Amino acid sequence: MDFEELLKQIKDELLKVLGESYADYKNESKKDVEAFLEASKDKLERWTKLLANTELTVKDYEWLLKSQKDILVLKALYQAGITKQRLGHLKNKIIDTIVNVVVGAIF
Amino acid sequence: MKLKLFLSSLLFSVLLSCNTLKTAVYDQYSYQQTISLKVESEALIEHATDNFSNHEVEVNDLVLELKKLVEYEKNKPNNEITYAMIKLMADQDKNLLAGFLKRWENEQQLSQVFTNEAKAQIMEAFDLIIKYEANKNKENKQSILDYLGN
Repeated sequence: MDFEELLKQIKDELLKVLGESYADYKNESKKDVEAFLEASKDKLERWTKLLANTELTVKDYEWLLKSQKDILVLKALYQAGITKQRLGHLKNKIIDTIVNVVVGAIF
Repeated sequence: MKLKLFLSSLLFSVLLSCNTLKTAVYDQYSYQQTISLKVESEALIEHATDNFSNHEVEVNDLVLELKKLVEYEKNKPNNEITYAMIKLMADQDKNLLAGFLKRWENEQQLSQVFTNEAKAQIMEAFDLIIKYEANKNKENKQSILDYLGN
């Protein structure tokens, strides 16, 4: 089994299906599909081999793919949280600087 | 005068945006409890190749602990991210810890290969939550250092 070829087929099919349903968001869909496949490539390859060797059932395979989607959601939440914390620090610095400048200008 | 007015307006807008950027502080209980759940989950998942009925009590205990943590995180202020993360783990309709336990109950017994792969996924999910909580500690230290620096 040529996994790279299979991956290309999955990507083409996903883009086709998403393109039909979300035509207005074609570019965003393409980026999302590429990001998902890139982040999941090694696992997808391993699970696909296990499925081909009948060590995983189709239901197992589907369950694992969905778990990968959930992990990517967790990663997005993690990243959003880290960004929020950094912005919080930036905000504190901005407040300190403004207070210093305003106080300096007024008094 | 215009400069003063501009700076005052800027300060006012920044202060108004404060609430949206607040993050709950590091919580030792959350950190320890999540690690404890991870270790207990790993030990229990390894038994998913056995019949579910032999482990039903342990599964129910673990689900109860997970629900307690969800409630704890839910009621902490400015804690939306951690709450959303732990809620995913506890959602039976998602494919992480609670979803795995539900599938085990439905199928009664799971294969060794599937159990190993699912366990790796669930452990990775726990690591992200633990890492996020630990990062709050790092950020708290930075806040204290910033404060002391002023």
